[in-house]
Amino acid sequence: MVAAVACGGGGGASSTPACDPQCTDGVALLALRDAIKLVYNVTLQGQPVGAQDKTTACPQGGAAHVHGTATSNADQGTTTVMLTYDLSQCHYSQVDSDPSHAFDVTLTGSITEQGIIAVQPSSTTSLVLQSSSMTIAGQVYSPGIDYKETACAVLLAQDGNNLSGTLCGRPAGVTL
Amino acid sequence: MVELRWSERGRRKACNPSSPLLPTGSLVSSFAAALALTLAAPAAFAQPRPAPLAASDAIVPPRLVSEPTVPYPVGASGEASVVLNVTVNADGTVRAATAAETNEPFSSAAARAAMGWRYDPATRGGRAVAARIRVEIIFRPAPAPETVPETTSPSAPAAAPERAPAPTRTEEVLVRGAHEEPSLTATLTRAEVRQIPGAFGDPFRAIEIMPGVTPIISGLPFFYIRGAPPGDVGYYLDGIRVPYLFHVGVGPSVVHPAIVDRVDLYPGGYPARFGRFSGGIVSGETVAPADTIHGEYNVRLVDAGAYTETPFDGGRGTVLLGGRYSYTGLLFSLLSPSTSLAYWDYQGRATYDLTPRDRVGVFAFGAYDFLGQKLPDGTTQTLFGTQFHRVDARYDHSLGEAGTMRTAVTLGEDLTDAGDGQSVRDRLVGVRTEITERLSPVALLRAGFDAQSDSYDVLLNSGTLGPTEASYASYFPSRTDLAAGMRGDVVLTVMRGLEVTPGARLDYFGSQGATALAIDPRLSARAEITDRWRLLWAMGLAHQPPAFAIPVPGFQPGGLRGGLQMSAQESMGVGWDLGAATTATATVFHNGFFNMSDALGVNQSQPSGCLPGSFPTDTLAGDPGGAAGSHTCGQRFAPGTLGPDRSGGGGQGAESAGTQSTIQALEARTNGNAYGFELFIKRKLTERLGGFLSYTLSRSTRDYQGQQFVAAFDRTHVLNVAAAYDLGRNWRAGARITFYTGLPKAPDPTDASTRLAPFFRLDLRLEKRWPLKGKAWISFVAEWMNATLSKEQIGTSCTLQGCQATTVGPITIPSIGVEGGF
Repeated sequence: MVAAVACGGGGGASSTPACDPQCTDGVALLALRDAIKLVYNVTLQGQPVGAQDKTTACPQGGAAHVHGTATSNADQGTTTVMLTYDLSQCHYSQVDSDPSHAFDVTLTGSITEQGIIAVQPSSTTSLVLQSSSMTIAGQVYSPGIDYKETACAVLLAQDGNNLSGTLCGRPAGVTL
Repeated sequence: MVELRWSERGRRKACNPSSPLLPTGSLVSSFAAALALTLAAPAAFAQPRPAPLAASDAIVPPRLVSEPTVPYPVGASGEASVVLNVTVNADGTVRAATAAETNEPFSSAAARAAMGWRYDPATRGGRAVAARIRVEIIFRPAPAPETVPETTSPSAPAAAPERAPAPTRTEEVLVRGAHEEPSLTATLTRAEVRQIPGAFGDPFRAIEIMPGVTPIISGLPFFYIRGAPPGDVGYYLDGIRVPYLFHVGVGPSVVHPAIVDRVDLYPGGYPARFGRFSGGIVSGETVAPADTIHGEYNVRLVDAGAYTETPFDGGRGTVLLGGRYSYTGLLFSLLSPSTSLAYWDYQGRATYDLTPRDRVGVFAFGAYDFLGQKLPDGTTQTLFGTQFHRVDARYDHSLGEAGTMRTAVTLGEDLTDAGDGQSVRDRLVGVRTEITERLSPVALLRAGFDAQSDSYDVLLNSGTLGPTEASYASYFPSRTDLAAGMRGDVVLTVMRGLEVTPGARLDYFGSQGATALAIDPRLSARAEITDRWRLLWAMGLAHQPPAFAIPVPGFQPGGLRGGLQMSAQESMGVGWDLGAATTATATVFHNGFFNMSDALGVNQSQPSGCLPGSFPTDTLAGDPGGAAGSHTCGQRFAPGTLGPDRSGGGGQGAESAGTQSTIQALEARTNGNAYGFELFIKRKLTERLGGFLSYTLSRSTRDYQGQQFVAAFDRTHVLNVAAAYDLGRNWRAGARITFYTGLPKAPDPTDASTRLAPFFRLDLRLEKRWPLKGKAWISFVAEWMNATLSKEQIGTSCTLQGCQATTVGPITIPSIGVEGGF
């Protein structure tokens, strides 16, 4: 497991610490995970359990199609998902006072999500996200750093709020 | 000061120097309430492009070329107004001048003076012709010289010996045009607006006293107009659409009141030049360029404003500069140290006559508002920050006696900063051209074309949005919208005393690949029954893209989701002159609304919280409850549905049912009806004793998902009564009473009443004016809106212990300030 990405820190004359490649990968993962989360919450949250098939527009353009199955356990406060997200030029951005949580990217590709999404604090999210070909292009970090990965394989595990795995064969991770 | 102004539509509202505004501690909460309304109830404003205003509606009228001096009658006192019927010969001399109503000694004085005026005669077909026009003269007594003791009788001749002959103190001369739009409602002159308590001399604020206008909350400048929500009401200044007219919350108007010549309210069935809004139209017009240097200023506890205009190059050109700046820091540091409020606005205008028939000009104006919360670490969190800017370049060409033509290009920017790095920006480019041409002695054509592009840049901190908020945000994608349209109508004089105006407009809308076309026919008529009675009738269709409840710059839904809104508007009224400077209008109206995106009106009144015996199910452990908005009450966790993904903590987690209902309201489309009766009786407020009565009896309903219910902001009775009295020695006092029925009440097992408590408030105004040298003057104005400190019930809140009314306020504005002019 890769520890959470730590961008910046240290001393130096610059008031804005640099973000190294591991840092930029981490921000890109954050963008990807938040995009999926957004698509899920916009389309599926509150929907009846069972087969799912929804399409939504992404906030800054593009579209996302989510399909698969999902069930929930109201008593435990968990949702079990087996979903696929098809992202098509899905433009998504976030501004944050933490520069390592700022991004403006466009996502294209399919990624699966399997496991448990915790709804209540008493439960723990446990997910596996996998894609054989994901394109992430745009800018990450603040100030923005150009970022582009084309047809990139992604394999991630989420345990609670820790997300780690490989991105384009490189170890990568981030704390959500 | 003597002003001569031509009113194209014969209906006037006026503006006056702004009045002081003093927020109080309670006002702070009102700002918060306004903010909550603006943000929580996804404010919106309709985007339609401004439909150009016609430059002239009638034949080329006579133009006064001599000084319209009118001596103030010796022995008279107080203010008065006289309407003269003036017949101007083809050679420009005055053949006859008679007062429409006797009001001695002013009537005779006005008539005598008018006989000496000289005009450029009216023309038709290139030939000078005799014409009959109506001229309104407002008398105001000459202020006593500074050396005159205050004990001087107010009825004594005003002029000092050295100022003999009696000086002209005509404050205002209005020249009314021949054509009166049947869809216009009550008209107030500028001098009258100054006398309306609670309006702070602001012409836009005077809208709230108009019949058919129902406030959302007392004091807040957001109105339902004949059942149409604020987001469906279009705001224009000089034919340029503006997102809002008032500074944040209950603030003053976004342009200096003194440069607003008049404000017209079209509650429905409006002329073809207005479109892309399915509710009412509020249209302001700036003052015409002046050939003498002049200006006004005001200083209040929270802001200061001024404007001045000067001619150059022998009067061929003019330059106007104005603005307002707030300095609320000191006041808020005392009243609400944690609140930060700021606003400013500016106006600039330049015109130049290239030839006697060609004028070019540019008008730039804008406004800024900021409301913030000071944090313990010394920083200020933005709660609400908006600004808009407009630059309008015009070219006006006179077609001689045939009419006028205007071509203009508008650039603009709307920006809303919601804090936390989130913002929405709209950059717009628009063009418009309009022509008014007399086709024949009985037909006047008014036509135009306009197009506008709006480029929206939406920057959201999506990672912190909840699922429904994120869904809400998807309504505002970055994109470019296009709207274009053409319109025309013909004012036909069918016979003497009968005028019929058929017209239509065609609009195209495009957004995110979605397109829509709207055809809006219009028809109005005006019939003079007698010299004192007239019938007015107006109807039309009006389409509008999806909009939200309250105008906020940049917030305009994209993609035309759900299609266009539409309203069918019709009204019929009668107007009559009662004599003694008193007029009245009575109107019945009906508006049918179709496919409305009225987020505020989609739901029946519901309580906040869960009724006793149930509990909220839409929040997780801890059930904080108590939050604004309705909850899903009953079971804690609905089996068989999917929970949210809360990865990262807090972000995109579950929200209350209130938030979810907000987004559902955005998605929903409703039909509805509004019908009612309006009565407006006015004795000129510039009379020694003047006043008005404005009453609306109406019902507004919505149809949604097979259910019909009273709209959430329906008020059965809305009443405004005001009186202003000249106390003598340039003192003038006024009072105004506002009353309206309470909002529909949410079902409550412990209370069978169907309405919240009615609202009542009292506004007061007192002014003392001193003359200075020449035309200069200065006055002290004390004004207090809601002197009764009345609170208003706006909803019902329930807990396990029971339900009670939710109140806001008191929204109150005491104001002290100094105004002046030269």
